[in-house]
Amino acid sequence: MKPLYLVILSLLCAVMALAGPASAGPADITVTAFSLDPPVLMKGDTGTLTVSVANHGAVPVAVRSARLYSSGVVALNDPYLSVGDIGAGTNRTFTFTVRADGGEGTFFPPFVLDFRDGAGSLRYPIPIRVEDTPLSASVISKPDAFSEGRTADITVRVGNPRPNAASGVQVVPQGTGFTATPTGGFIGALAPDASGTVTFNLTPAAETDVTFQVVWHNGINTRTTDLVLPIAFGEDKRQADPVITNVEVMPEAGRYRIVGDVMNVGLESARSVLVTPGAPATPTDPFRVYVIGTLDPDDVSSFEVTFKADAGVTEVPIIVEYRDDNGNRYTATRMVEVGGAAMPLEEQEGGIPVVGVIVAVLLALGIAGTIYYSWRRT
Amino acid sequence: METGLLRVLLNPGRFFEGRMQGEPSLKIPALIALVIGLIGAVSAVLIVNITIAMLPADMQAFGMIGAVFAAAFGVIGGFLNWFVFGIVFYLISMVFKGQGSLTRTLEFVGYGFLPQVFGGIIGAVFSYQLLSNLTIPAATTPEQIVEFSESLASTLATDPLAQIAGIVTILFMVWSANIWIFGMKYARNLSTRDAALTVGIPVGLYILYLLITLTGWL
Repeated sequence: MKPLYLVILSLLCAVMALAGPASAGPADITVTAFSLDPPVLMKGDTGTLTVSVANHGAVPVAVRSARLYSSGVVALNDPYLSVGDIGAGTNRTFTFTVRADGGEGTFFPPFVLDFRDGAGSLRYPIPIRVEDTPLSASVISKPDAFSEGRTADITVRVGNPRPNAASGVQVVPQGTGFTATPTGGFIGALAPDASGTVTFNLTPAAETDVTFQVVWHNGINTRTTDLVLPIAFGEDKRQADPVITNVEVMPEAGRYRIVGDVMNVGLESARSVLVTPGAPATPTDPFRVYVIGTLDPDDVSSFEVTFKADAGVTEVPIIVEYRDDNGNRYTATRMVEVGGAAMPLEEQEGGIPVVGVIVAVLLALGIAGTIYYSWRRT
Repeated sequence: METGLLRVLLNPGRFFEGRMQGEPSLKIPALIALVIGLIGAVSAVLIVNITIAMLPADMQAFGMIGAVFAAAFGVIGGFLNWFVFGIVFYLISMVFKGQGSLTRTLEFVGYGFLPQVFGGIIGAVFSYQLLSNLTIPAATTPEQIVEFSESLASTLATDPLAQIAGIVTILFMVWSANIWIFGMKYARNLSTRDAALTVGIPVGLYILYLLITLTGWL
């Protein structure tokens, strides 16, 4: 009996040895790697999933199909329906376009390889993370107050709180009633937990809202985040503040002359300071405009202007024009009473009334002739 | 042609020579003085009107009273000038042993004021022209009125039209002085030289005063 057992055992081993390679093929197929671009999706994002499969066996494995089933994300492209053989020791890559249609979280859509000849299938869940956190934007620098026409520096910082990098990050100011330079700021790629800044020179023409739109790419998906900055005009606590004092009105033949002092009571310098009379006054030579130049804080300068004014004008504006360090133009106006001053309205040509002179000359001639005549007749 | 008052202007010697034939009469000289006074009143009212215009509305009634007083003083001034010049001429002519009544002197001096009528009219026109070109601001405080008055005086003193008006006044004064020389010659029975000195000294001083005022030396 023992030899018989030995034969039977040998046959069994032979059968097993012959049958072994055929049943071990699918078992050698494994998923060696997978990747998702972008690594973390946002809701609604489209990504590219790449799955690598390797045959570690010694014989080729026939594969019928490869597909990705939906679970939190949806595969947008068709499954691989005729894959063919995966050669021994070779890799095969399968690429799927997926879209995050579900909510936030980590999803595990199964990747399934169906083998031919009823050899079963390989099922491998792929972890896909969906997180909806956008880039964050904040204004880190702006003036205390905005003024019409005054250029202000505004710095916007963009941070990336997402677990994956954002690419092509840029900031674009949007809205009406202002001008901005540059019209857009480019930051580029932002690694996780990194940040970048952009500075704009913003000149408002009216009170408005400026929207700084942060545009970035998450993979092939374009995303935006808005940062709204209200522009409300106010008084700059440090700006130059020219004040006119010590005003003296001096009526002259045909015009007025006003002398006085201008003092800068602000905390910043007033540059290119000009003093001129405004309407209804008509500036005349020699001091149509009085140029002071730069007036530092607490500095004082005298000025002198000459002008004409119509009858009935009781006060005229004296206008101080100046600029700040950025070249923005400002004006300060002080009304000055010219009441109590007598002034000929219309200056005669050359300052001498020609008609009056002619009358006087004719009278002189006439009287001289009359006197001569009276003595001649005596 | 050389009849009546026109003769005083063109041929005063003959006119006064003829008047010496009759009794002294002050009617026409008084009329001349009245006309001059009225013209002076008009000029005074023009000046006062400026002050009234700058007064507050509730004070303009007082301004009207001022205008009445100004007119009254203007009329009185015409007569006052007549008497002052007459008496001064009479007193000076006494130095030259002049003979003749004060009434006759006043009569002839009054006729000599006739050119001042024309001078007064032209002066009033100049004043109106000058004053109508002034800006009249509304003053609310006495300080402003004082300030305005000072600036008005400064403007009037420096305005070319005012200076021409002053020259015209001097011209007519010279014309009057010419008539007065003939008047004093006959009224006080003076030689031409003495009559010229009687009239020339006070009138010369007066014209000198006017010139100094015009040039702003005072």
